Amino acid sequence: MERRERLGLWLMAAPFLMGVAALVVGPSLVTLVLSLFSWDLVSPPRFVGLGSYRALADDGVFPIALGNSLRYAAVAVPLRTVLAVGLASLLLRRAAGAGLGRAAVLAPSAVPDVALAAAWLWILNPLFGPLNLALGAIGLPTPAWFSDPSAARWAIVLMGTFVLGEGFAIALAARRVVPRQLEELAASAGAGPWATYVRVVLPVMAPALLLLAARDTVASLQATFVPALMVTNGGPPPYATTYLPVFVYREAFEYLRFGPAAAATTVMLAVTAAALWLQYVAFSRLRGGVGFRDP
Amino acid sequence: MRRGVIVVVIALLVAVACGGSGTEVRVLVAGDPEELAAYRELVAAFHASQDGVRVRLEEVTDRDELLARLATSIASGRPPDVFLLNYRYVGRFVTSDTIVPLDGYLAASAVLDPEAFFDTPLEAFRFEGRQMCLPQNAASLVVYFNADLFEEAGVATPRGAWTWDEMVEAATALTRDTDGDGAVDVYGLGVEPELLRVAPVIWSNGGELVDDAERPTRLAVRSTAALGALRRFLELRKVHEVTPPELDAESEPAEARFTSGRLAMLMDSRRVVPTLRAAATFDWDVAPLPTLREPATVLHADGYCLTSGSERADDAWRFLEFALGPQGQRVTALAGRTVPSLEQVARSDAFLDPAEPPRSSQVFLDQLDVARQVPATAAWPRVEDAANAVLEEAYYEPGRVEAAEVALALLQATRGAFAEVAG
Repeated sequence: MERRERLGLWLMAAPFLMGVAALVVGPSLVTLVLSLFSWDLVSPPRFVGLGSYRALADDGVFPIALGNSLRYAAVAVPLRTVLAVGLASLLLRRAAGAGLGRAAVLAPSAVPDVALAAAWLWILNPLFGPLNLALGAIGLPTPAWFSDPSAARWAIVLMGTFVLGEGFAIALAARRVVPRQLEELAASAGAGPWATYVRVVLPVMAPALLLLAARDTVASLQATFVPALMVTNGGPPPYATTYLPVFVYREAFEYLRFGPAAAATTVMLAVTAAALWLQYVAFSRLRGGVGFRDP
Repeated sequence: MRRGVIVVVIALLVAVACGGSGTEVRVLVAGDPEELAAYRELVAAFHASQDGVRVRLEEVTDRDELLARLATSIASGRPPDVFLLNYRYVGRFVTSDTIVPLDGYLAASAVLDPEAFFDTPLEAFRFEGRQMCLPQNAASLVVYFNADLFEEAGVATPRGAWTWDEMVEAATALTRDTDGDGAVDVYGLGVEPELLRVAPVIWSNGGELVDDAERPTRLAVRSTAALGALRRFLELRKVHEVTPPELDAESEPAEARFTSGRLAMLMDSRRVVPTLRAAATFDWDVAPLPTLREPATVLHADGYCLTSGSERADDAWRFLEFALGPQGQRVTALAGRTVPSLEQVARSDAFLDPAEPPRSSQVFLDQLDVARQVPATAAWPRVEDAANAVLEEAYYEPGRVEAAEVALALLQATRGAFAEVAG
């Protein structure tokens, strides 16, 4: 690449990079430093070294929250990615109702989290909510969404799967750029629609899918916050829906324990990084070491 | 052009940063709409009473939000001048010197006299001999009852002191399937399985909640008296089945169930009165907390605290004098929300007017003699949360649970929080 061209690219990326430095890298470093101190925002910070990390290890709740978050990501990310890609493929073509369908998939993502949570609080009400009334009417079991730990976790997953507008938009765009000729070529070689989809379309979409899954992993480790705080309030006991963000929020803003909160955030960042790395490696292997590059 | 935009942006930022600092006294309060309305009335009355000082209310919806707002505003160097907070959450701000002792102000005040306050709530805000905040109210845990449901079930309404067994007996008779479909429609009692609700039962049975009230290092729930109380509390759900089961409790908070006339009794503080006055369509009143061995209840008091470094401390104190003085306390008492902390107002019609329910508001005043406080150390909120998770699980878990096991789980769950207090 030409020197000038490279400079131009850097210049174009500069506003974004400055934003990332100020809003992501800076705060992350501050969090890392903060995790080495005991601080209640009120008294002067006191250096405690790795004390906050040891406190987390001894804390009864932190390991539960970490496990909850990992389990959520393990279930929600594949589910959301499959749903986003599936819906994008279904609603790709011009067909009656496809526009409406796309709008319907995007709509929940445009609603503020808090408003959605308030709606879910009603929808999921075990006795008076429309979901259980409907389930009961057709003879299906009616889960105790707020008091059965496993039902509550599924409720959080359910709430998450409705907010996939962003992933859907990316999947739709990625699906659109798959060249028609490739599909026609596959068809003329005798491949059925399913084989064409799995062998041709998905591999072409793979870089976008990797990005989608990676982005969703990051998002899903944080997206539980509003539903878990507002709808299930971290419960039912013992801490069934206390995910890392809820744990961090409670430590920081309810108990003013910013040291452990920062330490937990650092662990969350590390877990996120590890999950991304795993995905990258897995995808690279699948695509014969091609990784992010275009086909 | 671009420079113009930058100037405008900077001007906006400066305006936002300095927004409202002016000369107003900033007062941070939390509450539901009815409560906040009472505080707005209070501020309006204060403004009408004098010209020099202006107060700006900063309103949030609940205590957690208030704590978050308070901590972040202190860290950013712009705390409110005054905040109103339950004594159980004040400890953190005392140990960090975020609030100033009010003894000096009190001694010099021509309006406020500590002698005029009820002792118990005043004591709750005294830390190591210093009066750190002043109580605006002196509420405690009582039993609200729906007199119409009592009459329908042919059960006598509680009059004055009563025992735990009498309450259980009434609750059992009141827990009924009214339409004959085999499902319970009316439950006898609503109570949150929380440490704050269990504490008075333990005290009433002659037990203690913690090993040392001043410097607690662990819950004292393994004594015979505490275990007995814990067992009686758990039996409400597990044996007598007089409180709504978990599914019903999660579907509809006890307060809403009581308000809609499908719960005969509700254990709560004064907090619910404005809502009940506005929404209850039946005859209701309050009774003291039932006793096991001796009468006891738990204090629920909120106090006004003055932040250190306030540039308008003197103006803020003038607002406190008004809010805590007879005039201000009348305003909040008339709204139904508070049990006044000033004896003079508490014994007046502003609080005791029999035309305004509950008729037996006197119960709150009588109970003050036996109201005790839970510890108010910096880490107490964490202790409560950890204990509540254990209690909720034990209370609703199907099958029998030994009180001793629950007590052990309580000790283990709260150990970390207590260790922080000690450290």
